[in-house]
Amino acid sequence: MKKRIISIMLCTAMTATLLAGCGGESKSANTGSKDGNYEEFITVDVFDQFANYQGTQSGWFAKVVKDKFNMELNIIAPNVAGGGDTLYQTRSAAGDLGDLVLLNTSDGVLKDVVEAGLVMDAADLMEGKDIIENYGDAIAVTNEGLPEEGMFAFPNSVSSDAATEPSEGLDPTFGPYIRWDYYKTLGYPEMKNMDDFLDVLEDMQELARKEEGTDDIYAISLFKDWDDNMMNNAKQLCCMYGYDECGFLLLSADGSETQSIIDDDSIYKEVLEFFYEANQRGLVDPDSTTQNYDTWSAKYTNGKVLYCPWPWVGKNLYNTAEHKAEGKGFMFAPVEDMKIFSFGSCPEGNSTQIIAIGSNAEDPQRMADFIDWLYSPEGIRLNGQSNGAAGIEGLTWEMNADGKPELTDFGKQALPMNDAEVPEEYGGGNWKDGVSALNFKTVNLEDIDPATGEAYDYLTWETTIENNQTALDLDWAEHMGATSTMEYLEANDMLAVAPGSSYTVPEADSNITTIRGQCKATVIDNSWKMIFAKDQSEFDSLLKTMQDTAKGLGYDDVLAVDTQNASDWTKAREESAANYPEGKNVEDNSEETAE
Amino acid sequence: MKKGKTAVMGASGKKANGKSGFKYFLWILPFLILAFLFSYFPLHGWIYSFFDYKPPRSLADCEFVGLQWFRMLFTNETQVSQLIQVMKNTFAMSLLGILTSILPLGFAIFLNEIKCKKFKSFVQTFTTLPNFISWVLVYSVAFALFSSTGMVNSLLENAGIITEPIKFLDSDAHTWLWMLLWNTWKGLGWGAIVYLASIAGIDQELYEAASIDGAGRFQLMRHITLPALLPTFFVMLMMAVSNFLNNGLDQYFVFQNSFNKEHIQVLDLYVYNIGMTGSSYSLATAISMLKSIISVALLTVCNFVSKKTRGESII
Repeated sequence: MKKRIISIMLCTAMTATLLAGCGGESKSANTGSKDGNYEEFITVDVFDQFANYQGTQSGWFAKVVKDKFNMELNIIAPNVAGGGDTLYQTRSAAGDLGDLVLLNTSDGVLKDVVEAGLVMDAADLMEGKDIIENYGDAIAVTNEGLPEEGMFAFPNSVSSDAATEPSEGLDPTFGPYIRWDYYKTLGYPEMKNMDDFLDVLEDMQELARKEEGTDDIYAISLFKDWDDNMMNNAKQLCCMYGYDECGFLLLSADGSETQSIIDDDSIYKEVLEFFYEANQRGLVDPDSTTQNYDTWSAKYTNGKVLYCPWPWVGKNLYNTAEHKAEGKGFMFAPVEDMKIFSFGSCPEGNSTQIIAIGSNAEDPQRMADFIDWLYSPEGIRLNGQSNGAAGIEGLTWEMNADGKPELTDFGKQALPMNDAEVPEEYGGGNWKDGVSALNFKTVNLEDIDPATGEAYDYLTWETTIENNQTALDLDWAEHMGATSTMEYLEANDMLAVAPGSSYTVPEADSNITTIRGQCKATVIDNSWKMIFAKDQSEFDSLLKTMQDTAKGLGYDDVLAVDTQNASDWTKAREESAANYPEGKNVEDNSEETAE
Repeated sequence: MKKGKTAVMGASGKKANGKSGFKYFLWILPFLILAFLFSYFPLHGWIYSFFDYKPPRSLADCEFVGLQWFRMLFTNETQVSQLIQVMKNTFAMSLLGILTSILPLGFAIFLNEIKCKKFKSFVQTFTTLPNFISWVLVYSVAFALFSSTGMVNSLLENAGIITEPIKFLDSDAHTWLWMLLWNTWKGLGWGAIVYLASIAGIDQELYEAASIDGAGRFQLMRHITLPALLPTFFVMLMMAVSNFLNNGLDQYFVFQNSFNKEHIQVLDLYVYNIGMTGSSYSLATAISMLKSIISVALLTVCNFVSKKTRGESII
């Protein structure tokens, strides 16, 4: 009898423990802290789809956040973790994305997270804050048409410029940036099209290898981390011809033309052929197939790659003050038939990229205060440094005797993102590692900073341009007959500005999403194989495989959806261009903020 | 009356049986619960394959779609041919694994012949260790050795044997064989342990008697060790067959890239790629259900064959 009781008890105990393990933990509700008074130190989980760094934010930006909000940011970055949407899906299935959530809202994601209760309505938390006063309209547009009414998300890159104005500063987002020093040595050969461009790259590689006496310099290096609907590196050259992606379509900036990427005559296929030809000539880094973004970008820092599709990588990593003084660096080189795609300013903000407060946030009020700060001039200067803002007043820049903002010596050394030692009082470490890992531009940096009267983008400052007379800049300006890339592009009608709008790609039927997923894999796998094909016949047969497999999987159904989206997007762009033909008056703006 | 008596007796007899039966039942109850929790309870997840499941929403908010996902697998030729390719990879790699399952046996027999105790235990430890290294680390070793700037390529280039690095990792050449080699490297020593244990259990008198009869070293191995190990070998083989479709995911996951995907994608990896990266949990669930059905079918076939040939069934 006794034994039986014991055994029954044991069994019950065992089952109970087993089941207890399955139960969910419930978080105790936390009361918001009083304004400006954060007694308890907290670690904030930031789920950030734009971050390229995973882990705790360190350095000077961490110090600013700690001093102001008594918290540290633990960045969770799917870009680093890899595996596509896996992290987002598992975390959202578990019901907790993080305290702060930074998402790409394409494909109805914002609607989903609101419906699933993953983000919090911040309307009450934000009451009476500057962010509402300054950017209330844009925030309202972002939160339109959601299943519940409220203030769930805050848009990216809100601008007070006209929708048809480029949102970029002195350089576009994409462009054929090459090592100007070698290009100069070759005698600035003229480039009419991509074929000429390839010839120049070949000569440059030969020259660079001879000068440096090493064989590990390549004209082109690729990486796979950002592949999505198509191979990301290949898309960049399409953007240089005035297209941007809309699913499997390439949509021209003015919306007049769309191309299906896998077609025989698409620009995407032409670009793959360009890379294929480059590889045949030995211009493509053999590490391309296996390396990730970190390894890839380190090669720019070390001067091992000669072409870069992005000024914000090539210029930022290689064009240090030292290199520029020697006349070395990445600069825009004109390929005549290009028409560079430019993102227009978004007066209503870019609702495709948003920041929101997670519904399980430990201290929602503090999160709201933090977001409000990110949209304040100080927040824009500091958090926006990763995108080209000036950083800390008194350390990297100061107002000079004429009342104009000017970079300090330290600033010249540290910006845009260099290994410069930061004084201990500002958090120590080096500048580059301390840059905000959020990678979220709240307000467009071409907007005017009320405190300085000039744009947040320090490159456009009068003083910067005056001081920027290095050997490299002088030579470039002399050869190109312009002071900046944008000026050159605008003067030569080589810029295709797509008006900024708040359009986001709506949710697709799950059948379509599934087929899209399978087609994506086919397109990406075969794109890579095509570039590294043995010969032209293998290239052609891989192209055929890609087309047949994708079409067989139902590519055309997906394309029909993309075509509809493309036409809606174009409509939204046209509307935005009509609604915001002129920027807000700069003086008005500064007065408002001064109040 | 009589009837009633027997009825009572019968009842009391049953009761006694029931009592001890219930006691025995209690003994196995914890294990039944465990088996239920870990083997049967997860099956309720199959329900996802009948819904249009989108992760941030709960299942209750998702639409019921019936057999849509199952039909989708067979709607068009490309889907079917992809599935066939995946099954080919799965079967090929499982089959290669089973064919090479003889290797640990041979390794154990030869290892046993080494007379120097220290060297023997060194070899045994050394070959067992890789089993405890995760596939992620194995891949980083593979990367350090075989990437385009890895050790092997650098050595060959410096020696002037090649001018362009050989693509070991990002090519589709001999993918199955490469995977088999890695697998063997990792599992050989571990697989030999069970055989070494059974060798220790062989009666030493057999060896003594045989050597008195004049058997040489190889004859001892051939006629005593090997036959004594065969029963163990067949048990291991049986287990391998039952895991035919489960050749794991981690090895193939870490080694996969755009270039070798066609031949490295086994069923488990395919399910992962579609479900997690391709964001279709429902379709992935449907595929993995098919996997269970095929496994049960394989088992039934095995059982049938065993019944016919040996006269007894496995299950």
